[in-house]
Amino acid sequence: MEPAKMASPKSAPKDAQVMAQILKDMGITEYEPRVINQMLEFAYRYVTTILEDAKIYSSHAKKSSVDADDVRLAIQCRTDQSFTSPPPRDFLLDIARQKNQTPLPLIKPYSGPRLPPDRYCLTAPNYRLKSLQKKVSSSAGRITVPRLSVGAVSSRPSTPTLGTPSAQTVSVSAKVGTPVSLSGQRFTVQIPSSQATVKSATPTTPTVQNVLINPSLIGPKNILITTNMVSSQTTASESNPLKRKHEDDDDYDNL
Amino acid sequence: VAVEDQPDVSAVLSAYNQQGDPTLYEEYYSGLKHFIECSLDCHRAELSQLFYPLFVHMYLELVYNQHESEAKSFFERFHGDQECYYQDDLRVLSSLTKKEHMKGNETMLDFRTSKFVLRISRDSYQLLKRHLQEKQNNQIWNIVQEHLYIDIFDGMPRSKQQIDAMVGSLAGEAKREANKAKVFFGLLKEPEFDVPLDDEDEEGENEEGKPKKKKPKKDSVGSKSKKQDPNAPPQNRIPLPELKDSDKLDRVMNMKEAARRVRLGPECLPSICFYTFLNAYQGLTAVDITDDSSMIVGGFADSTVRVWSVTPKKLRSVKTAADLSLIDKESDDVLERIMDEKTASELKILYGHSGPVYGTSFSPDRNYLLSCSEDGTVRLWSLQTFTCLVGYKGHNYPVWDTQFSPYGYYFVSGGHDRVARLWATDHYQPLRIFAGHLADVTCTRFHPNSNYIATGSADRTIRLWDVLNGNCVRIFTGHKGPIHSLAFSPNGRFLATGATDGRVLLWDIGHGLMVGELKGHTDTIYALRFSRDGEILASGSMDNTVRLWDAVKAFEDLETDDFTTATGHINLPENSQDLLLGTYMTKSTPVVHLHFTRRNLLLAAGAYSSQ
Repeated sequence: MEPAKMASPKSAPKDAQVMAQILKDMGITEYEPRVINQMLEFAYRYVTTILEDAKIYSSHAKKSSVDADDVRLAIQCRTDQSFTSPPPRDFLLDIARQKNQTPLPLIKPYSGPRLPPDRYCLTAPNYRLKSLQKKVSSSAGRITVPRLSVGAVSSRPSTPTLGTPSAQTVSVSAKVGTPVSLSGQRFTVQIPSSQATVKSATPTTPTVQNVLINPSLIGPKNILITTNMVSSQTTASESNPLKRKHEDDDDYDNL
Repeated sequence: VAVEDQPDVSAVLSAYNQQGDPTLYEEYYSGLKHFIECSLDCHRAELSQLFYPLFVHMYLELVYNQHESEAKSFFERFHGDQECYYQDDLRVLSSLTKKEHMKGNETMLDFRTSKFVLRISRDSYQLLKRHLQEKQNNQIWNIVQEHLYIDIFDGMPRSKQQIDAMVGSLAGEAKREANKAKVFFGLLKEPEFDVPLDDEDEEGENEEGKPKKKKPKKDSVGSKSKKQDPNAPPQNRIPLPELKDSDKLDRVMNMKEAARRVRLGPECLPSICFYTFLNAYQGLTAVDITDDSSMIVGGFADSTVRVWSVTPKKLRSVKTAADLSLIDKESDDVLERIMDEKTASELKILYGHSGPVYGTSFSPDRNYLLSCSEDGTVRLWSLQTFTCLVGYKGHNYPVWDTQFSPYGYYFVSGGHDRVARLWATDHYQPLRIFAGHLADVTCTRFHPNSNYIATGSADRTIRLWDVLNGNCVRIFTGHKGPIHSLAFSPNGRFLATGATDGRVLLWDIGHGLMVGELKGHTDTIYALRFSRDGEILASGSMDNTVRLWDAVKAFEDLETDDFTTATGHINLPENSQDLLLGTYMTKSTPVVHLHFTRRNLLLAAGAYSSQ
């Protein structure tokens, strides 16, 4: 800590001198000079809060002036609210006894990264993208298969999605990899009729770093697109980014 | 064989009941003081142990029953008589003048409701009992019985020196029963591996229960014995994660490095490489280094966690999912290919905590990093994506220290709520809660066999807990200040502890005794580490020095027989000077962390402070 540059006793206001004396009595010898200001600020704020509360209690009890009981009540209420203290010993011993009775859980072998269930992790994406273009009609079903057809195709890969490949359809098989949790996002893709390509949007990888959405380029024949282990993703190659339109519906739901 | 004392007046009297007239408390105390001062020399040291707990309990009782003026005058009169090492407590006490003040202070409430343990020889005890029961007014006898636990032993009364070595904690000393449980301090057997590059063609011993590999090369530190070490825990006492291929590779690397390890000793001291954090402005609060010394992490008061690469190899994160699908998964260097070169940098900053980061710990497989903070959470970070994976909430108060188990998967954390918690990375709630300390748990460490956890606390005791059932198996008292560093010896038998009193104390875990005291540092010891084979103990302190101590000599010829255990008649030799192998000064940089590399090079870390 920096050595205490205490204000010379002559020039410091009386409150500051009292605070410095309190610090000395409590055995604190080294402190930054601004500590005194902070302590004084705290003392002022605390006392005014208590007295204001006491005034409210006293007027509620229809008393003519604030007395010690009001102040005591105000202090008690504030203590329970702002200055909580750790649980008492018997409570801790009690919960410890309960917790320690259950045997240690066996560890499943070969289970990849060992993390709690997804909703206790911080691995879900905490953002969603704003839509760029007007919405195109989306399918009603939860699991959709993008189809090569004139007009719109909507694909909503979810976890896990399997589509049946047909002559002109694309199946997206997704495997959710750990540790990422997959949130399903609906994307609506508009396919220009001239081009026999289907671009199906894929969910972004939930890691915070990557916000790209990679469309896939699929040839005219049926192509099975498989994802790799890490996330659900179709093989990507950019063909015509301008033609790609995707948006998420307002009522998308997270998995 | 000594028998524990049963209070004649049973615990029907609750802890909140008042004994006698408050105005006479001063008389009671001074009467006892007079008696003790007039007693025989051999008994006086032992009976003087009564002063402090009685003083505090009587004072707290007066305060709790709202006799403020009597409490004040009681304090004024007698606080100067107490031992010097209780001064910090007394200062806290002097600010507790009203019953309301006590409400928020959990430590003082715990002190009031728990019994202070004193160890006294039978002769001294008889003397005391006779005196207190003789008098007409035996109020003080009631007070003694209510608040003190007197553990009697048969034997010579202890000298002041012996007593001073072992007292100092808020809970008194440890009862003999507290240190009786069997502790499996041996190490777990390591599985044997082929070490491919070695030419030697030895027929290795087959370890019991392990399938024989082609030509197992003996581990250089492993034992050849077929029998199970009686002091080692069974392999499956607690569930441990299985060894993955990457772990096995790591072990092989470890063994290769071990072969090239420098043998340290008084003649061959380690070189010390100091990593100084510049421009930290007193914000460096925690440091850890990976086992293979490839990465160093710093936890800071601005709530960031910063990871640096110590080797020339930079830190990279894994490629995005898009790019990962493009790589050839069958290639040999797939682990290199999954890394994204664009993200290579020497430093990675991890944001997430909302308060200063007080503890950091790398996982043994270098995939995860733990950090604990004043915001009450422990966070698990991935070192492959450099993002936060989980926040473990349980302590709702500052968490002071955290550590991964030597085998990974489990980790321990200790905080302001006076408990330590054992977690597993895949459970969002703790698996074990270790409750018993009277004040904050400031330091938590795993035993090398992962079956026990040592916790050091601000109540100046160290407790050893069993992971299997959460029981406290050892209590070590003797430090005169909060404990800030713990280190287990590599063979698992001994524990070294450092505190704000500047002393390093050495403990024999099996017998539950203090076996050494290393004096030399003049300020808090924040870092302790044994060398890889346990020959040297390095200690780093706020007094800007690193000291090396001869651990082999400190632990040889120990007097640890049953008599010593029963009576606490430890005789610590004054050999700190002999054991001190070297003192190395830094330029005004307090030492916060110490780490021996696999080849026994000593790394130290601290932040430069400019005065």
